[in-house]
Amino acid sequence: MTNPSAARRAGRSLPISAGLWILCYFTARGVLELRDLGPGLRIAAALLPVAPFAWFLWTFIGHIRAADELERRIHLEALAVAFPVTMLLLMTLGLLQLATTLSMDDWSYRHVWAFLPAFYLGGLALARRRYQ
Amino acid sequence: MKNQLRVLRAERAWTQADLADRAGVSRQTINAIETEKYEPSLPLAFTLARLFGLRIEEIFEP
Repeated sequence: MTNPSAARRAGRSLPISAGLWILCYFTARGVLELRDLGPGLRIAAALLPVAPFAWFLWTFIGHIRAADELERRIHLEALAVAFPVTMLLLMTLGLLQLATTLSMDDWSYRHVWAFLPAFYLGGLALARRRYQ
Repeated sequence: MKNQLRVLRAERAWTQADLADRAGVSRQTINAIETEKYEPSLPLAFTLARLFGLRIEEIFEP
């Protein structure tokens, strides 16, 4: 059963926290493109998205706790898709790295992490479709 | 799991949203139960039975 007030609160703050996190991420990416920054500022810029992400995580957990039982199952099934697919991606990239030289311009952490939420969103779409 | 939810709801002229509000779940959950895509937990089944004034086994059958 849902907690309506908690669900409303989580529903309001989830997109805001996600937006702030994404904004901070792209701000950090932009700042790190600047060549004349000192190492301290570069590290500070790289860590900029951590606090908004922590808030996003907090609101996401609140959203899950306030969700009803079907919504929780949908998120569980999304994880059941996303986690093994992520493992497969990382395992394959690791093996490809042994087999050949992967370009770090395409396959470094800064690109690969974006696949993870994409897999999760894909898993969510599959699970939602199943229960429509 | 087969169930009489749609019939019982229609008898009371409740929409899926009405029943969802009363049961404290989403409309999607009620729809998924009615279309037998999702089996409710025991607490939710008890809640639904209480809302219709029936026993669980009068609404759900294996």
